[in-house]
Amino acid sequence: MTDLNCTACQVLIHGYLDKELDPTTTAKVAGHLAECAECTRLHDQARLLTVSVKRHAPYYSAPASLTASVFAPVVPRTSTVERWRNWFAPAFSAAALALALVLYVATPGSEQPLMDEAVSSHVRSLMGEHLNDVVSSDRHTVKPWFTGKLDFSPPVLDYSAQGFPLLGGRLDYLQHQTTAALSYGRAKHIINVFILPTTESDKPPITQSIRGFNVVSWQENHMRFVMVSDVEKGELETLGQLLRKGA
Amino acid sequence: MKRFEELFAPHMDAAYNLARWLTGNDSAARDVVQESALRAFRFLHRFADGNSKAWFLTIVRNESYTWLKASAGHRWVAIGDELPEDDAALSHSQTPELLAIHMENAALVQQALCALPAIFREVIVLKELEDMPYKDIALVVDIPIGTVMSRLARARAMLKLELLKLHSHD
Repeated sequence: MTDLNCTACQVLIHGYLDKELDPTTTAKVAGHLAECAECTRLHDQARLLTVSVKRHAPYYSAPASLTASVFAPVVPRTSTVERWRNWFAPAFSAAALALALVLYVATPGSEQPLMDEAVSSHVRSLMGEHLNDVVSSDRHTVKPWFTGKLDFSPPVLDYSAQGFPLLGGRLDYLQHQTTAALSYGRAKHIINVFILPTTESDKPPITQSIRGFNVVSWQENHMRFVMVSDVEKGELETLGQLLRKGA
Repeated sequence: MKRFEELFAPHMDAAYNLARWLTGNDSAARDVVQESALRAFRFLHRFADGNSKAWFLTIVRNESYTWLKASAGHRWVAIGDELPEDDAALSHSQTPELLAIHMENAALVQQALCALPAIFREVIVLKELEDMPYKDIALVVDIPIGTVMSRLARARAMLKLELLKLHSHD
């Protein structure tokens, strides 16, 4: 039974204590303990020690404020004015978070969550009655509306002549960043164009399909553009070209 | 965001507790957990299925060590498994009564645990406070499952030694 020496046993008593040994080894250890006073003493001490740590070492629970800031609620959907009032406090308190996100989220390879979020936001904007905060096809109305609400200046242009009338703009929140969302019409379809700042260099447009929506994205002048719509790929790309030309 | 919260909200206490024990202070632990949550969020698509607690704690542990390294600056020395053995002291624990008394002193237990090198402190925290099975500890600490038991054996022996040492300073 006792083909177990004390050195080996003195490690195994820990697995024995923690009930992590297989039945054969458990039996061996028990057999050895029955015959060896020194190992039994060490076993008893280790057991008391674990009990003592469990009882006396503090367990630090996460502070509620920490949990709240990690799982900060996303965009409350209330009236525009109210939303803005309610927004600034958390926005500032999450400044550090946003800063960290610029470093972590805005690095290459993190595109997919953004695209996903953009598609979700597009869907939400169509479900509720919250497509636009400022409803106007006049870029001189829409553009100044963004001033002071964003720390960057998104290009706002109307392409009615080319068949993409500007419907309006709203603020959105993607990747923990305040984002400009412009909506354009195309026949009966809606196209959302999300614009958010990035520290990355320019990237050529990429077209992809996410959950049945077409998504075209690119980066230019430290801004990231994501267009989402159910219009055809080609049409979406056409609007993308217009936006990039800026004419 | 919803999946993220469902997966990790239940493990916030475990995350903070581990970070708090590893970094030794509240504000660092908060930073570490924040960073870890950001990372978890960012790499959520890589988490297929399985043990979200072990996955999250792995990130928390890595972030804690990053913090420890940064705060120690060039003084940081990675502590491997090869610590000098202190066998003489280990086997000479001839003061079982004092050990028993000290084990009942919450402040001393805490102090002794804080005095352990991080790689030994963490296994005690994960086993004793978090009650994690060896296989999960192996994932978090990134060692083979077979090493968990010997690491714990060392950690407990060192903790006992620390508890006895504290006595000599009284």
